[in-house]
Amino acid sequence: MSAKTKKRLSAVGKQMILIVMTFLMFFPLYIVFIMGTYYSEDIFKGIPVLPSDYLWENLKMVFSKGFVRAYINSIAVSAGSVVISVVVSTMIGFALAKYSFRGKKLILGFVLAVMMIPGQISLIGYMLEMRMAGLNNTLLPLIFNWAAHPLGAFLMVQFISDGVPDELLESARLDGCSEPGLFFKIVIPCIRPGFVTLATMIFLWSWNNYVLPVIIVNKQELFTIPLMVNNLSNAFRSDYGAIMCALSLSILPMIVIFSLCSKTFIKGISAGAVKG
Amino acid sequence: MHKKSKSRLGRKAGKWPYLFCLPFLLSYFLFSLFPMLYSFELSFFDWNGIGQKVFVGIRNYVTLLTKDPLFLKSLKNTVILMGFSTPITVILGMLVAYFLFDIGRGRRFYQTVNFFPYITTPVAIGFIFSYLFDWQSGYINKLLVAVGVLDEPYFWLQDEIAAKVIIVIMVVWRYLGYYMTIYLAAMTALPGEVYEAAAVDGAGKFTIFCKVTVPMLKNTTMFLIVTSIIGGLQMFEEPKLLFSGWASVGTGQSGGPGQTALTMVWKFYNDAFNLDSRLGYGSAIAYTLFVIIIGFSLIGFKLTNRKEEKHER
Repeated sequence: MSAKTKKRLSAVGKQMILIVMTFLMFFPLYIVFIMGTYYSEDIFKGIPVLPSDYLWENLKMVFSKGFVRAYINSIAVSAGSVVISVVVSTMIGFALAKYSFRGKKLILGFVLAVMMIPGQISLIGYMLEMRMAGLNNTLLPLIFNWAAHPLGAFLMVQFISDGVPDELLESARLDGCSEPGLFFKIVIPCIRPGFVTLATMIFLWSWNNYVLPVIIVNKQELFTIPLMVNNLSNAFRSDYGAIMCALSLSILPMIVIFSLCSKTFIKGISAGAVKG
Repeated sequence: MHKKSKSRLGRKAGKWPYLFCLPFLLSYFLFSLFPMLYSFELSFFDWNGIGQKVFVGIRNYVTLLTKDPLFLKSLKNTVILMGFSTPITVILGMLVAYFLFDIGRGRRFYQTVNFFPYITTPVAIGFIFSYLFDWQSGYINKLLVAVGVLDEPYFWLQDEIAAKVIIVIMVVWRYLGYYMTIYLAAMTALPGEVYEAAAVDGAGKFTIFCKVTVPMLKNTTMFLIVTSIIGGLQMFEEPKLLFSGWASVGTGQSGGPGQTALTMVWKFYNDAFNLDSRLGYGSAIAYTLFVIIIGFSLIGFKLTNRKEEKHER
């Protein structure tokens, strides 16, 4: 009996700790969302806790400053990055997981070795290269950047070697399926969860990327969301309600996407880490 | 049997595995390797991107390491920030995962909400905290004054130590949910018999956690420490926006009070793109950073390994 009460007490204690912690973790975001609904000067009057009624005006203000354009740019860049990165990673993942060929070890070793290299050492060269190619002040450099992502390739090797049975490939071959056919008809359907995981991660990283756009993009029409945030105090001067509203809008899409597929995402992110 | 089928597979496939590897290798060469080598070459030049390129040998590196106090300062800052944020996040992450591990209700909810900071745009994080800790309009000051802890608003961001503490808080806040999730997954993957055996021996729950769970999570801890070091040494967006985000902070001073928040990547960004356009010098900073990252990662591997040996003895 006493053991049971003790157990229940500890469970309640744990819940309490977790609730307090979760509250603290969510608080900064909550404040931003709340203040996005305030009239700028009211923000300073008290300590805002509950939403106010100025959201519509703030939204109008924010969208008048090119926020829609930034959304479209960000979505285009992230979607482009996801497509190119997932396709390229899956292809090399298939080769390294399911074939044996000369140089395989070398390529695998190369992918693993370059995973640790920090992006900064290629940044200046990349900027100049894109400038020479006439691609600065377009969004393409922000997409190409994700084409060869070593971590993506590594994850795909893992997903494909676990998720695609050799027998299935063999029997499809006996049925006369070509090698590209195997890739499209067997590999891709088999690793759909891995696909979604990598896609979500690349989308997130590309969406949040700041350094690259800030050095590549100078035109306001090509601003992505992080550049928009960077520029908020210039764009809105002292309209703090609008600034907060814009901040919430920059955070919201990722929170919605993540909440909708948090299970796959969490599974994928931890699969990569626990194995690696 | 298995081997045989594999070798047959290889012979039949012919050119295909190479063709499948090609897009990756080609784009890696084009968009990473070539720019890297180009940066490396540039690090031996003095060039602003427009005028004449002047070959200066290793002078950029010499200047950086011996005549640029700001670089050494930024190295020190980065190491201090990382030295606090990494252990705090790892330990907290492990503890919270332990709390979450055998909780019945709400696990998914806690996990999801605590993950929000990790997916928040880092630029926005800097901005949000620059507001929270703002001098006059900041939420924290208003709260503290209202409760009576402070008599008047404190200028947090003008205080060298407070600025560092705030950055550590930001980093812990951002990564805690991620660490917790990784630990939780690792704990779930541990075989259940270990716990049962320890419980039969009469060990309490917390003892089991310290003596059994923590050592068995060694690989996860090592992974998190090394990634945290690699990420921590590249810290940039959060401190930068902390000091240029909220408008009333003023001129958006670079580096914070007394350059206390200037990290290595921020210094790199300033020299190469923002304040100056010293592309050669910037490349030299980037390559030095690269060497430092490799060094710290190796130390990280070593330290975590040695700790484990002690445990086993």
